[in-house]
Amino acid sequence: MKIKGLILPTVAGICLVYAAVSIAQSHPQRVLTDPPKAPPRTSFAHTIAAVGLIEPSSESIHIGSHRIGVVTKVNVIAGDKVAKDQVLFRLDTRDLSAQRKTALAKIAQATAESRTTAVLLDQARRRLKSANSLTDPRALATEERDDRASECARLEAQLATSQATIALAQAELETVETEITRSTVTSPIDGTVLQVRVREGEFIEGGSSNDPRLIVGTIDPLHLRADIDEFEIARLKPGAKAIASPRGDAERKYELQFVRYEPLVIPKKSLTGDSTERVDTRVLQAIFRLKNPDDRLFIGQQMDVFIESHPRKSDS
Amino acid sequence: MNAVHCQQIEKSFGQGETRTKVLRGVDFAAAQGEMTFLVGPSGCGKTTLISIIAGLLASDAGSVSLFGESLCSLSARDQILFRRRHLGFVFQQYHLLPSLTAAENAAVPLLAAGMNRKLAVKKATELLGALGIGNRADAAPRLLSGGQQQRVALARALVHEPRLIICDEPTAALDHKSGESVMELLSSAAVHPDRAVVVVTHDNRVFRFAHRIAHMDDGVITHIESPGNQI
Amino acid sequence: MTYVAFQMLIGDRAKYIGLLFAVAFSTFLLQNQTSIFSNLMKRAGNQIRDVTDADVWVMAPKTEYFDQTKALQESDLQKVRGVSGVDYAVRIFKGLPIAKTRKGQFAACSVLGLDDATLLGAPRNMILGNWQDLWKPNCIVLDKAGYLLLFPGEELKLGQELELNDQRVKVVGISDALPAFTTFPLIHARYTEALTFQGRQRQQLSFVLVRPTVGTSPDELATRIAEQTGLMALTTSQFQRASVVYYLKNTGIPVNFGITVVVSIIVGLVVTGQTFYLFILENLKQFGALKAIGVTNGSMLGMVLFQSSLVWFVGVSIGTALSATFFNISSLVIQLRHFIFFWESAVGVAAFMLLIIALASSAGLMRVIRLQPAEVFRS
Repeated sequence: MKIKGLILPTVAGICLVYAAVSIAQSHPQRVLTDPPKAPPRTSFAHTIAAVGLIEPSSESIHIGSHRIGVVTKVNVIAGDKVAKDQVLFRLDTRDLSAQRKTALAKIAQATAESRTTAVLLDQARRRLKSANSLTDPRALATEERDDRASECARLEAQLATSQATIALAQAELETVETEITRSTVTSPIDGTVLQVRVREGEFIEGGSSNDPRLIVGTIDPLHLRADIDEFEIARLKPGAKAIASPRGDAERKYELQFVRYEPLVIPKKSLTGDSTERVDTRVLQAIFRLKNPDDRLFIGQQMDVFIESHPRKSDS
Repeated sequence: MNAVHCQQIEKSFGQGETRTKVLRGVDFAAAQGEMTFLVGPSGCGKTTLISIIAGLLASDAGSVSLFGESLCSLSARDQILFRRRHLGFVFQQYHLLPSLTAAENAAVPLLAAGMNRKLAVKKATELLGALGIGNRADAAPRLLSGGQQQRVALARALVHEPRLIICDEPTAALDHKSGESVMELLSSAAVHPDRAVVVVTHDNRVFRFAHRIAHMDDGVITHIESPGNQI
Repeated sequence: MTYVAFQMLIGDRAKYIGLLFAVAFSTFLLQNQTSIFSNLMKRAGNQIRDVTDADVWVMAPKTEYFDQTKALQESDLQKVRGVSGVDYAVRIFKGLPIAKTRKGQFAACSVLGLDDATLLGAPRNMILGNWQDLWKPNCIVLDKAGYLLLFPGEELKLGQELELNDQRVKVVGISDALPAFTTFPLIHARYTEALTFQGRQRQQLSFVLVRPTVGTSPDELATRIAEQTGLMALTTSQFQRASVVYYLKNTGIPVNFGITVVVSIIVGLVVTGQTFYLFILENLKQFGALKAIGVTNGSMLGMVLFQSSLVWFVGVSIGTALSATFFNISSLVIQLRHFIFFWESAVGVAAFMLLIIALASSAGLMRVIRLQPAEVFRS
């Protein structure tokens, strides 16, 4: 026998299924995702994280100039390998050349003067000698003999003055020549030109290194300078292992060899690329050598650094 | 043996000042194979008496025994089971369940006893056929006439073959003709050697169906007459 | 007798439907209100939830909720990276600059500055465009609602320009970011660019986002980070909860909604309970007849229980389906985007309705049990 009234319960059953399915479908599933690009990860169980900058092992040498003046010739471009004492750029030396000529002329003049004096001195000495050979006072007046002696002494003094003038002029010449040498800027080390911000015809003020015209450094090996927060210093291990990866490319990891600490703990300058630099803590700077750098690393690049450390006391 | 045997039944309602004694020591008996009428004016205590007989009310004093079994000695639950097994009821207002069909209504006692629904309805339908309304077995009670409804109620009272049937004013809500036919059916279908039928009525037109008439007034049975059963 | 109970229930169609309607309506009302309320409050934590690349948020101590941030120091990022159990830690910036369109429309926007190196926190659900275009300079991703707010009446298209703190940026993507509690348009940009939208501030790092290494639970890691760095660290769910709790405590919304919910509960209770109780009372005569015939109180109980369970099942199912339909449709409305039908609300309200019906039916049942079967003789 058919039972009537089963329609509504059946409809209710369908409703229930529909509601359940609706709820199940609309219920948001929070699916965990991975970041679009892998963030930096440590390789160590206990780690100190830091931010570092790649720098030349010689550190950056900001090349300056002794002289002010106009650049006449730049001999290198950025990236050039340079040897110690290799010319980097030259300043205009025309004024110095003129001074040199003056100095040379002075030498010539003084030399000529001294020769003249020498000849006169010879003559005077001969005349004094013949006077002295006449022993008879009546043959030559005593006064005449004294005059001849004085003439001799005067000329000797004159000769000495001339020779001093020559020495002075030569010293002047040397000064000018040193200046000329100093107008040619050379590399202090065997290294690589990292930056050239000097062009022929430009005027160099010299002096301040805040605005270096040319940077030279040794890029083999490369060093990395890591800022370690002062709170983490206690956990540092001597000679600890460390790795670094470039910003935005955490998959690439470079092994680091500890070199040394800077002895001075300094206020941290933000390395994180913000619009304003500011001090928020003090940092110990550790210098590492990149064990196997490749050509995808550049000086000045920011790196995320992980240094193996002692565990914290609260770590189990 | 008397199917129903009551001795000195007393029953009061209400409390304190308003307490009224409805039954004042009633002795009543109904025999198997007979139709016993209980008659009397309204408020004389007929309904109270049959309620006590049926176990629906507890008496204050006196004893009731049905088929030799004392109702008072049974637990409440056993009383219900006894009622379910052995008693059939016909009410003045039929008390059919409006949402069941005629056959289903008639099958209720079987269902209450735990019988399988199809079987019970089948049995009830057969009985309705025997009572002459087999064609209305699937109709809802509200589509039936009063007489038909009372027949369904009669079927409900008979379907589980009880040993005592209690009818409360079965014809009061019916017109004369329907009442007649219901009484005819009652006396033909219900009266059975193993069964007693107690009918409460004050419809003197149907007195002739009674084997025995107990007259009641003011809480006591005044006299019993045996009109001789001529149907 | 179950059959009899069933027929009794459905026999009176009007009453039956009325009863079901009351239950279904109360269910719908309650589920609807509680779900909308929960959805609304949940929005306070949505921006946190939406960053699926991280599980732990590190922030300045005493931070109460997402929209109130105090900047961290750059060195805090390194400190967090130094905590063991950290798989990775990445910074994120949150700002609230004013964006202006060419037409002069303007609005305060909630900007998330994503770390330039990783783009961690990029909006993965895009409606138009690619979040990958954030790598390009001066490009941002705007959420759809924000787009509609800033470019009213214009169709969704890429390449629109916005001006933020005198910076001109291009919209290269329209995201379906989870809506925030506030109605600010949501902008995703790169960290360094987002800083310039905001103007100069001394410190700009809002949060450090962390994921634990395999084998470390976020909770464990959050506790450890907090211990070792002195910063506040919360898991995504803790931070979400904290933000929601903040708004619950500090806005009038919960009170407002609470009243609505309480009223709904009362209406549900009265309508459903009353209807069901009346249903039993109206059938009291029938129950009485059954009782006289010899149906035990146990069977009566079974019958009433069956009726109430059926009413509950049918009514609640229909009501729940109504709620589900409501939320299916409402999710298409931009202001109600990502409003979902919480299963907790569905189940909770169903349980509550069960309780109400149980109360009503036990009240009715008491009447049935106490009913003197002799009553049936009184016409």
